[in-house]
Amino acid sequence: MKRTVLDYALKIRLPLTLFVIAASFMLTFYISRPERDGVGYSPEQPIKFSHKLHAGQMAIDCQYCHIGVAKERYALIPSVNICMNCHTVARKDKPEIIKLTQYYEEGKPIPWKRIHKIPEYAYFNHSVHVNKQIDCASCHGDIKEMEIVNQVKPFTMTACLDCHRKPHENLPYLEKVNVGPENCAACHR
Amino acid sequence: MSDFSKSSDKKELWKSLNDYNNDSEVLKFKHDEFLEGVTEDFDPSKLSGLSRRKFLALLSASAALTATACTDYRDKGEIVPYNKRPEEVFPGVANYYASTCNGCREACGILIKTREGRPIKVDGNPEHPINKGKICAKGQASILNLYDPERLREPMAARKHVSWKSVDEDIISALNEAQKNGQEIAIVTGVVTSPTTKKVLDDFTKKYPNTKIYSYALINDQQRRSAWLETYGTIEYPAVKWNEANIILALDADFLGNETGFVENMRKFTERREVVKKTDFNRLYVAEGRMSATGALADYRLRVSPAMQFEFVMALINEFSKRDSALPIDADTKAKIRRYSLAKFYNQVGKEKLDYLLNDLNINRGKSIVYAGDTLSKEVHAAVNLLNELLGNAALYDFASSYKSLLNLSTHKELSQLVDKMKNEKVGVLIHFDSNPVYTLPEDLGYASALKKVKTVVALIEAENESSALGNYTLPINHLFESWGDAYARGGVYSLQQPVISPIFNTRQKEAALLTWIAGDANAFNQELYHNYLMNNFNATIYTKKNSFADAKSFWYSALHDGVVTFDEKSQTTKFNFAAVTNLQTKGATNGFVLHLHNNYYIGEEKFANNGWLQELPHPVSKVTWDNYAAISQSTAKSLGVENDDLIEVKVGNKKLTLPVLVQPGAADNFVSIELGYGRKVIGEVGKEVGFNAVLLMSMNYDSSPYVYSNVSVTKAGGKHKLASTQEHHSLDDTFVKDIHRTRKIIQEGTVERFIKEPDFLHKGEEEKLLGITREHTYTGLKWAMAIDLNKCTSCAACVTACNVENNVPVVGKDQVANGREMQWVRLDRYYSGTPEEPIVSHQPMLCQHCDNAPCENVCPVNATNHSQDGLNQMVYNRCVGTRYCSNNCPYKVRRFNFFNFRDHFADAYYENNLTSLVNNPEVTVRSRGVMEKCTFCVQKIMEARSNAIRDGKELKGSDVVTACQQACPTTAIAFGDSNDPGSPVAKLRNHDLSYHVLEELNVKPNVTYIAKLRNTHSEEIQ
Repeated sequence: MKRTVLDYALKIRLPLTLFVIAASFMLTFYISRPERDGVGYSPEQPIKFSHKLHAGQMAIDCQYCHIGVAKERYALIPSVNICMNCHTVARKDKPEIIKLTQYYEEGKPIPWKRIHKIPEYAYFNHSVHVNKQIDCASCHGDIKEMEIVNQVKPFTMTACLDCHRKPHENLPYLEKVNVGPENCAACHR
Repeated sequence: MSDFSKSSDKKELWKSLNDYNNDSEVLKFKHDEFLEGVTEDFDPSKLSGLSRRKFLALLSASAALTATACTDYRDKGEIVPYNKRPEEVFPGVANYYASTCNGCREACGILIKTREGRPIKVDGNPEHPINKGKICAKGQASILNLYDPERLREPMAARKHVSWKSVDEDIISALNEAQKNGQEIAIVTGVVTSPTTKKVLDDFTKKYPNTKIYSYALINDQQRRSAWLETYGTIEYPAVKWNEANIILALDADFLGNETGFVENMRKFTERREVVKKTDFNRLYVAEGRMSATGALADYRLRVSPAMQFEFVMALINEFSKRDSALPIDADTKAKIRRYSLAKFYNQVGKEKLDYLLNDLNINRGKSIVYAGDTLSKEVHAAVNLLNELLGNAALYDFASSYKSLLNLSTHKELSQLVDKMKNEKVGVLIHFDSNPVYTLPEDLGYASALKKVKTVVALIEAENESSALGNYTLPINHLFESWGDAYARGGVYSLQQPVISPIFNTRQKEAALLTWIAGDANAFNQELYHNYLMNNFNATIYTKKNSFADAKSFWYSALHDGVVTFDEKSQTTKFNFAAVTNLQTKGATNGFVLHLHNNYYIGEEKFANNGWLQELPHPVSKVTWDNYAAISQSTAKSLGVENDDLIEVKVGNKKLTLPVLVQPGAADNFVSIELGYGRKVIGEVGKEVGFNAVLLMSMNYDSSPYVYSNVSVTKAGGKHKLASTQEHHSLDDTFVKDIHRTRKIIQEGTVERFIKEPDFLHKGEEEKLLGITREHTYTGLKWAMAIDLNKCTSCAACVTACNVENNVPVVGKDQVANGREMQWVRLDRYYSGTPEEPIVSHQPMLCQHCDNAPCENVCPVNATNHSQDGLNQMVYNRCVGTRYCSNNCPYKVRRFNFFNFRDHFADAYYENNLTSLVNNPEVTVRSRGVMEKCTFCVQKIMEARSNAIRDGKELKGSDVVTACQQACPTTAIAFGDSNDPGSPVAKLRNHDLSYHVLEELNVKPNVTYIAKLRNTHSEEIQ
């Protein structure tokens, strides 16, 4: 039987093309997954604040600044007056601190870039997690080592549920831990 | 035609005179088809290098590039913390501030919930001794007034925005001029409950001695006050100890619906409707013409038209004087009342009922109360006072908690004098002090036309109204949540009002505006002006009275924190003045129809007519929304040849009003009742032309009461006006639907006698095994459940409104209600049984029953509704695709579908703006089009309680959660909690003999339990 061009197109060219398209889509999909989930996102901030310096080297407790984290839903980005507790005295001559003082004195809030975000229709509560002794690093990564904060883990429903379902695997440092609630109303209402 | 034929001889058509004259130039043009140069060769090289195709390609390429390169798709916006965080504000945590409501003259204590500085919810202040943590639907919804998009934002002079300073200067000079010219300065205010406002008005009078203060309210208690003045010598009438009354006879008194003290009355009344520990029921007789919310709760309802009430009371007195010669009535009076006979009422009311009433009142002397409504004439009130005095019922008066009158209402005589002075240009300045007399005063007074003769008319108001539209200056005032203030409405109770948000617009406190004018200097104003004034007055009057150990400042702050200061008020001993009642009489027999004008339930006198939530609340009895109507009885409707929605014309003297009919079972014959407060002309988009203005029927020259008119003619007017009702008018004579609520056991009721004899009568012999189609699931741990005691439900709709506010329920509008698309998560069902003349009314709050075997769950194709381990029927908006199968399969019909994005759809997106969206509760998702929703058992409150329990290291308990409806219920009819905890109130009610589930035979196992209503009649059967 004579092989026609049509045969070639149907049997080899078409499947090959489809395969390449599908493969490249899948590849891009999986490779870009963390990127799309925001992992590795580290935007430039209005003030070059270093968590590595404050939380790492100077070992200031997270809750000194993030005062809401054990009390309520939001961890709370510190208001400028908390920074000024120290910086009215400390390192007043540094350019970043001058910038900070300027914000404070002009009464302007600092427009920090948001890094971690879950969608508005999910009602996450920090205090519930922190009061169950879950470490900040379990979700936010080792902030103490970060000069500029970036997102380390994906903040998707899959990620939430993974931990809620298998807390022992994900939070090995906790001896006593229950499975988290899996019902819809736990987060959505 | 001739011209045309003439021109056609020479030339057919011409374009210009040159053409007409055959100019050579024109002829040349006509010869050449194209103008010179047009037909030359086309040379692309001469064109610009950028072709159209290239241009478009470039454009799209650059657009695509900008779209991809310039937007950071990972950008998540900014988080902006406070610069200096106010100490008490924690973003994400609510703050509560005590204040005082000024929605009506009750001045209830309120607790305002704010989030990040914006008020989002109002509830009653539990510390307040009168309303004890509960407020009415109006108070609940008053928060929407704060965010009303049509609130006034800037002061206006002659309809133009001006600055406060120039307005102040203008007004001060106008005041000085009026003072100099000897013209009157009139201030027209509503009811004043604030002693400090009163003091400001007094100070104003001191500064400008020509000032006269007028006070008027469309719906007032003036008749009652006059009667008390005459019979007891005090205008401040006492509260009634409803909880101590065994027998209550209410005469056209809606004391549980919307009349004086109704929130407190409801609580005290239902204290005697307790079924859990004791059955010590009171018995409620209601004699009325209309079907009021109180009448709907009556054990015995007597159809007596308001025009006959005087005769009725006198006949009762006569009857008692005949039965008991020891009654302290002098012979003269006795002889006079002889002509009033109860026999006249036998036909209409039934002798049996009257005998029961007489016996009950006789046996329970000193333990019963006869109470006349606010709308009845002072003669009826005086007669009622006499009857109570004779029966020793004065023991139930609580004089220590009397209804204060800081500023007596102006009489009609004073008001007509004012109008005369206005007409003769003797009034220089007229200030509408948060009032709307053009709407509220009877038209025959001629107030509106007289207003034109006043040179300076100032309105201090929140939103434009009929009176401000006719004035020169319209000055915006603060909403109650932005205001300082106080109230002394009841004896021994002084409450404070504090602002919880700084003024959103360029508004001022109305008292501060007066203080600026008192100072006579436009620069005298500052934001603290009235605040300081109030503090000083507080220190001078309240602090000194209390003899507190604390210093003045601490005492002020603690009073502000509590919202209320109580003190012992010596009740003056008042003696009944028998001389006042010896010559009691009213105009006798009447022909034609009797018209009864009365208060509406939810939109108030004028303040709340532009509030969508309140306009959309169904009437407690008729369930009509967005309208008022003429309620008439079935036989009257038949004789007039009209049906529901038909227009009729009501004529009082020469005053006419055309409005639709609602056939109201239980209404008296030849009788029309109409609600006041509707039909506003100058108001925001929501309230404009809603309903019909019955004030037009009111007159200065009434017989005995401004609200009751006799000799009214009613005729069919032709035409229809559709009334939007949330419940069908189950005709009582339609055999298919008649008593369906009883046959299907939706409503189960009994009588007290039966219950005492046989406590388990409801479930006796009920042991059939129900079949289920769902896999059984056991609930260990917490399981949420609700119990609703129908003995206590008065259908006041506080729960519905509280739910609307808490859960961001939108307003849908009249057209959508007519389509059955109202969105309220709680529905107050009303069922009639019996006859159209003597209906028995049953109320039932209906909300998602959170069934264990929920039929909605197994039909959802996308699992958007499912069950949680703590017994909640969850609804996940993000999963919902809007098939509406769940609603179709719900036996209780409690699911609500967003047919539109209602915020956008209602009145051209009236409520979709940056201001109104501030009212939304940030803890609850705002639903959009195509999504199903329903009661969640306030899951946001459950989750908050859970996180608090985890924070505090405690176990979550059922009592930690109070749902919005439960919190709001003035009679504590709603219990909520853990049904697996045998000690919890909800578990106790679930196991009560009277508990039942609606449509129990479906075996869907609802988690909302109802407690069957007991009627306290002289029978074991419901009649």
